[in-house]
This record gives sequence, structure tokens and C-alpha cells, in this order.
Amino acid sequence: MVILSVMILNKAGGLIYQRDFHEGLHKLSSNDFLVLAGTFHGVHAITSRISPVHGSGGLEVLESENFRMQCFQTLTGTKFLIFAEPHQPNIDVICRRVYELYADYVMKNPFYQIEMPIRCEAFDRHLMAYLKPKQ
Amino acid sequence: MPIYSFYIFDRHCECIYTKQWHEAERYQSAAAATARRASITSAPDGVSLPQAPGRLSVQDDAKLIFGVVFSLRNMVRKLSGPDDSFISFRTNGYKLHYYETPTNLRFVMLTDTKMSNLRAALHQIYVNLYVEFVVKNPLSPVEHPGGVGVGVEMFEYGLERFIKSIEAE
Repeated sequence: MVILSVMILNKAGGLIYQRDFHEGLHKLSSNDFLVLAGTFHGVHAITSRISPVHGSGGLEVLESENFRMQCFQTLTGTKFLIFAEPHQPNIDVICRRVYELYADYVMKNPFYQIEMPIRCEAFDRHLMAYLKPKQ
Repeated sequence: MPIYSFYIFDRHCECIYTKQWHEAERYQSAAAATARRASITSAPDGVSLPQAPGRLSVQDDAKLIFGVVFSLRNMVRKLSGPDDSFISFRTNGYKLHYYETPTNLRFVMLTDTKMSNLRAALHQIYVNLYVEFVVKNPLSPVEHPGGVGVGVEMFEYGLERFIKSIEAE
């Protein structure tokens, strides 16, 4: 399983977590990542508007030559973006698992302030253990 | 598998060609959904329902689509280098395929979600139809402001046939 990067966006489109797990994507400054997250938040909203069929949601999977991105939006509007290699199967399962870890180690952390950047050591550790085992 | 629509954008970011398919069916299903909602809120019968609520005109749709592919393409390039290119995205209702030529001509196609990758097909439209019937047309202008010279008969005919063959696959 090769997951390149994980980003978490709050419901206002602000980047609250970003971490690379494998080489593959460019290293950007934290400001660039914030801009990217904001752009994606807007695009996600527009993609459901331009739908040719009735009742479509926002962007779910984006494919490019070098990576594949899965976007999972929770009911509360938080978005999980998982960047993986182009032919990685079952990214949605990985998304759910990352959401579970988020619920367990971020939301249940009494010191975490909601909608603010995630700085939870336990979340980092468990995410690393799940996405990049044996290290 | 149905193909919903097709757009060409030129290097000045202008939509120079657009074509829609299966529109009637789509509006019907949308109208049916609206009607269902209306009947839940017990709207009086006999009220003629307009088209799907919040639907934009084709030109406005094209502008939004261009904005989306432009942003996503820039995002992809920023993340993994200028030689990477955005191929497609999918939502739970449709899939958008994208192909860009080195001259910044952009081809966009909206299809059913289960459609496989249409990048090669868009490339074929460019090579076999656009170049043959639009670029090589001696009467066609070099640039196509407002779509002048793109929707020629041969191009339309070739596109229609090509789309049928993809849908039949």
C-alpha cells in the first residue's frame, strides 16, 4: 500500500492537517498547501453544481498521470484527501480508516479545539503505523 | 453508457464548441424528482414545473466547467510537477474526462460514472476530427472567437458518429 499524502480540510476549506508518507509529490510550503486546500474546497462545491444529472455530490476521485486522489467528505463537512499511486485499489477503505483514527484520536482529545490545526501526537503515531508500517 | 456533453476550450480560455446529448431524459428525471418533492409538500396539481431548479444555461455551465478543469490542472501541476497532467475526476453522478493539447486546446467530456478512461478518445477527436475538419478547412479562421468555424458539418457528423460508437461499446 503506497499512500503518498493525507490532507484534512475543515468545513470552511481550511487545511487542518497535512502529512507526506511516501515520496512522490512535490514538497510545497505550508502556505501553498493552504492555498491548494482552499482552491479544492471551492472546486468541490462547483463540481456538484455542473452535474449533468440530478442530485450529484461533489468530486470523489481525481486521476492524474502520477497520482490518484480520493476525497471523502463526512456528514459534518470535513474533507479527507488521500493521495495514492495511480492504481492503488480500495482507497475508500483507507479513507474510512483514517476517518476512524481522526474520530478516535483527534475528536476525543480533550485538548483539541474544533476546526483548528491538528496537533495530536497519538493521531500522528497511529496514522503513521497504519499508512507506513514497519518503520 | 451515456455521454452527457462535450466542450472544447481554446487557448484564450473561451468555449468554442459545446454539444449536449440525452438532455431530454436528464430533464425528465430531474423534473420527476422535483415533482416527487413537490407532491411531498402537497403542491397543487396542474402546476407546470420548470426545468430542474438552479440549472444554469449552457454558456454558464461551460464557464464553470472551464474554471474547474483549469483549477484542477493547476493543482495537479503544483503537486507533482509540470509534466504531470490531470486526466479525469468522478463524482457520484458523473465523470469528467480531460485532454489538453500542447497548444493549450482543451477537450472536456462529461459521461456516466462507469465509463472507462476517455483520454485516448478525446485525443482521437482532436487528431481525426478537429485537425482534419476544422484546422485543415481553408474557409475556417485561425482563431475561433465565439466558436466561428468549429461547428462545421463534417465535424458535427464525425463527432456524432464517434460518440455513438463509444456509447455502444
